[in-house]
Amino acid sequence: MMSRQLLTLSLTLVAVFGATGTLWGAGEEIYQVEQGFKLVPALIMLASLVLYLGVGFLSKVSTPSGYWVAGQGIGKYGNGAAIASDWMSAASFMGVAGLLYLRGWFGLGYIIGWTGGYVLLLCLLATQLRRFGKFTIPEFLGDRYDCHSVRLIAAVVTVLIAITYATAQFKGIGLICGWIFGMSYQASVFFAAGVVLTYMLISGMTGVTRNQQIQYVVLISAFLVPLWILIEKAGGTGLLPQFEYGGILSGLMDGRVSAAAGGQLSGDQLMEATKVFLPWGSGGNIYHFIALVFTLMIGTAGLPHILIRFYTVKNEDVARKSVLWGLFFIGLLYWSSPVYAVMGKFWNPLGGKEVADVIILSAPERAGLGNAFLGYLAAGALAAGISTVAGLLVAGASAVAHDWYATVFKPDCTDRQALFVGRIFTAVLCIIIILTALNPPALIAQMVAMAFAIAGNTIFPACVLAIWYSKANRYGALAGMIFGLAMTLIAMAGWVMRIPIFGDNGLLPATSSSLVVAPLAFLINIVVSNLTQDRVSEESRLRMDNILRKLHNFPGHEAEPPARPAPSSASAPPAV
Amino acid sequence: MAKPRVNVNFFRPSTLGMRQEVGIVTTVLAIWATLSFGLPLLIWLAGLADPTGMGRSFLTQSRFLGFPLHYWLIAQGCTIGYVLLCKLYCTLWDRRIARTRLAPPPGSRGQR
Repeated sequence: MMSRQLLTLSLTLVAVFGATGTLWGAGEEIYQVEQGFKLVPALIMLASLVLYLGVGFLSKVSTPSGYWVAGQGIGKYGNGAAIASDWMSAASFMGVAGLLYLRGWFGLGYIIGWTGGYVLLLCLLATQLRRFGKFTIPEFLGDRYDCHSVRLIAAVVTVLIAITYATAQFKGIGLICGWIFGMSYQASVFFAAGVVLTYMLISGMTGVTRNQQIQYVVLISAFLVPLWILIEKAGGTGLLPQFEYGGILSGLMDGRVSAAAGGQLSGDQLMEATKVFLPWGSGGNIYHFIALVFTLMIGTAGLPHILIRFYTVKNEDVARKSVLWGLFFIGLLYWSSPVYAVMGKFWNPLGGKEVADVIILSAPERAGLGNAFLGYLAAGALAAGISTVAGLLVAGASAVAHDWYATVFKPDCTDRQALFVGRIFTAVLCIIIILTALNPPALIAQMVAMAFAIAGNTIFPACVLAIWYSKANRYGALAGMIFGLAMTLIAMAGWVMRIPIFGDNGLLPATSSSLVVAPLAFLINIVVSNLTQDRVSEESRLRMDNILRKLHNFPGHEAEPPARPAPSSASAPPAV
Repeated sequence: MAKPRVNVNFFRPSTLGMRQEVGIVTTVLAIWATLSFGLPLLIWLAGLADPTGMGRSFLTQSRFLGFPLHYWLIAQGCTIGYVLLCKLYCTLWDRRIARTRLAPPPGSRGQR
């Protein structure tokens, strides 16, 4: 689901405007996608929605014991596909290729940031989180540090990330609904919100993982198939596009483009075409590249809805192997996005953001794949977006209902009450997200980048030290998390106010702040923890030690008092 | 009654099991850092000589599988490397488990 995420920066803004109607008219002629209602794609899309709902419904009936039981039977391939489907949203589906089209080599920083993060996650967190075995990240941090304030900060961060991401999803959804139904952006927000709620209502939280597997297959097949045809049209053999586009890319750097675009560029145009693929030709320098990569990596490894995935698998062995398979399945997408970008350049070397935005839809259209196929592709992308929004709603609602209401505010509440609060909050979050999406703050794209920076600056350091440093205590965690959150927000505010140091080319770019902030957050946690060793009570110490024994399989772990099972609507992983 | 405190420190692993775990993690992360930050630094260093500041170098001029080398290294070299690293991690871990099972060093998994 995440992936979604990604949304990618600069594109979103444009997208939002585009969705209101200016976009379609602005495309270059070759790359313009047709407007208006399209019957065949609409039918295909509806059929796929019915399929998802049906699977969700059937899975629910067959596994009355709920999501967790079903989820814990999931093996490494299945969970890998679910992780990949979790990660891939409409936004990354649509956005990454566009970003690579605009930023060339520099844009690759997003690709390695979003894949390399999984190595960190696997090495430092996945096994231990599975051993912990409860429901949410706020719960993990709150229990380990034995502190409700830590739990609440983590819950707030989770809600912030959920709202940001879900809002960003509407960019992709808006583009797709605009294309299939000829809807305006506003209409598509309501349409998508309606579908999400229906989906959640009918399928509940069960059947989620099975659906994610189907969605992954639809998504990735829709994404990959056009490549073979595209590469053939560009003069390749069409055997393995992911390796073949290299020749076309090298040609582009020498100014060789398609006959339709002039065949051979020269002068300024040649310069333009070449420089985007040179390391620093599209802006930025080595510091910005590394800061970006680092931020995306630790952000990926710190996103609550990705981490939560490891609670649902059979055992820690499957947890590890599903990261491997998840990353491979994600890799299939990211090995292919650059092909779209390079093909786009080949046919339209000098296009701007309008071209970049719709490149995924326009490239297959260009390849003559026909409306039925495009409908399939759009259905995959839309499913990705909708499942992401639904999943984020659950993640956000569980942070409130489970970690705040049922744990802190009213620990003696019944499951029914917790479930009720979870439902209410799902609806409240949905309304907030609709309002934000209808009236996106001008900086919606930056908000998404901020989600990574927040996760990387707060959740990641707190989780790593929670597992790997037994001296870390509540005071250290609080100091580190508050520092990380505050610095991220300051950097964002600085960006909004256009203070150069926080700008794209500044020393502390708001979207890449983790390279500086996260190490400091680690350091603050460690120093404060050491200074406050004496202030931690003996009981608290024992409880923390007990969790640590569990995390590292040390002998002597005592089962905690039976934890309240999270209400089903509030505990399932975010992706639906 | 008082249990000994649990002592976990990534840089000073206290038990044999943890030493092995940390060994695996540091191996994998060392390669990870080389890929993620070493390669971009190499491309940067090589391109310093380009007077236009765009980073042209032998890496951008040489070709690999048809790709400009600097592009391939990041777009595919790094990402394929990450998948292999995950595989390496899983393999090392499985091997460690198998070894521990064959010859469980007495008390080695306990905390000290």
